[in-house]
Order: sequence, then structure tokens, then C-alpha cells
Amino acid sequence: MPFAPEACAELAKPLAADAETDLVAQLQQGSEAAFRTLVERYQDRIYQVILSLLRNPEEAEDVAQEVFVEVHQTIGRFRGEAALSTWLYRLATSRALKSLRRARTQKRFAFFTSLLGFGNEVLHEAPTHAHPQALLEGQQQLGLLLDHIARLPDQQRVAFTLRHEQELSYEQIAAVLHTTVPAVESLLFRARKTLRQHLQPHFRHD
Amino acid sequence: MTEPNRHPDSDEAWSDLLSQLARQPPAQPRPFFYGRVQARLAAQAAAEKPLVPGWLRRPAFAALLAALVLSLPGDGAAVGAAREAAGRAGESAPHLLPR
Repeated sequence: MPFAPEACAELAKPLAADAETDLVAQLQQGSEAAFRTLVERYQDRIYQVILSLLRNPEEAEDVAQEVFVEVHQTIGRFRGEAALSTWLYRLATSRALKSLRRARTQKRFAFFTSLLGFGNEVLHEAPTHAHPQALLEGQQQLGLLLDHIARLPDQQRVAFTLRHEQELSYEQIAAVLHTTVPAVESLLFRARKTLRQHLQPHFRHD
Repeated sequence: MTEPNRHPDSDEAWSDLLSQLARQPPAQPRPFFYGRVQARLAAQAAAEKPLVPGWLRRPAFAALLAALVLSLPGDGAAVGAAREAAGRAGESAPHLLPR
């Protein structure tokens, strides 16, 4: 996948408060140019966080589009209590989790209908997004870590992903999750503990 | 909050693994993402656009409109127009022959 470090460094810069206020004001007035600016500025970060949670590029793209459609439709209600990026991360994580829950429900339903003999289709696991680095270098530990992250409870999974993949601060994660910094610390502590328990045997054998 | 006590080697391996996770190449959506968002917005707007005005979709208004249409005297209006046309042409209005 193409990677331009300069572009990512630019995207990683927080939008200055004044610029953000202007952008929000223009969006609320229905400016299409402002909406384009918003999408182009945040699309990579929003896509990355959704992909980290879903591990499926097609679904991640679909959910990322839903997020920006929701922004377009609800920007009038944005009052600026949180930063624009926090609001976007919040929409992205909640939509990604909703998509995960829907997929789990469909999987359970398909399982039960197959047990009852209503469907003759073969049950199979949905293809997951294999980590490119893990594929290229055969880093099984990283693949294993990603598998276990996917099994964490939703809140722990979001907190861990935002911290270790998106490198958000504890304060930012707390804002995204509508919680406190100590609660984020607790979520991360439990997530790390669970992950290390699962990965410990693999560390010893290396 | 501290991490649970581990063997130093495993601590190092864990830190390496976390830094690998953070160093993964950033993914990007496919090109022309904005175009697809716009297309989705347009599709939603078209789907939400009602074929009839909002007030007409309310049962009370729809029933009232239907009652109004049914109460209009369609035949009388047509006969009246025919009489006027005949009067202008200097003819008497047609009437039934006596038996």
C-alpha cells in the first residue's frame, strides 16, 4: 500500500482551534467545499481506525462512507463540546462496533438456521484482513496479537486500538469513549493483561 | 497502574510486538473516496425525496382531499359549458322530444 510519510505527518497535525471552528461553521452553512476539505483531511484516519476494528477493507470502506454521510446529515447538531476529530472518532468507533455486532448476529443466525436445516449454504469464516507486514515477513506473533485483539470485549478493543494503533493520548481516548482517564487506564490494563496471557507461551518458545 | 510482573525477556518481546503494531503501514481508502461519499449522499437524498407532498401523506388530509374530489359535480359542469357554447352559436339547448 502506498505510504507518504509527509502526508501522514500533515494529517497527524491537530487542526488549529480557529481553523476547526471556521470549518464547522462552513459545514453548518452547507458548504460543499468545506465538506470536501473535511473528508479529505480525515478520511485516512477514520478509515484506519475502522479497519483496525473490522480487519476487512471492504467493510471498513463502507463504514467510513457511512460516517461521513452521518457527519453531513448531523453537522447542524455539532455544538463543539468536543474536538471535531474526537467527534469523528466517536462516530467511527460506534459505527464499527455496530457493524461488528451485526456481523456476529448474522453469523449466529446462520449457524442456528444451518442447525435447523433451513439453509444449505456452507458456513465459513468471513475473510479477515491479514496484516500486510505479517504476511510479508511471516511475523506470526503479530498475526496472533491481532487475532486476540479481535476477541477482546468491545470497549477494551477500542481503547487498545486507539492507543496502540492510532497512538491517541489517554485523554483523547477518554473523550472518544465518553469516559474518564482512570477508566481508560483500567480498560488498557485489562486488555494488555489478557493479551499477554495469551501470547506469553509464544514469547517463551522464541 | 503497572503491568503484571513478567520475565524481562517477555517484557522486551511484548514491547517489540507493540511497537510493530504501531509501525504498521497506514492503510488508505481506495482512490476517489470523496466521490463515493457524494454518490452515497445523492442516493440517500433521492430515496428520501417523497413522490407526494408531505401534507398529502397524512391520512386526514388525504381523506379530506378525496372527499372534496368526490363531491365535485363533474357532469353539471360539463352540461353548463355545453349550454353556454350553444347559446353563443344562437341555438337552443337540446331538449327531449315529446312522446
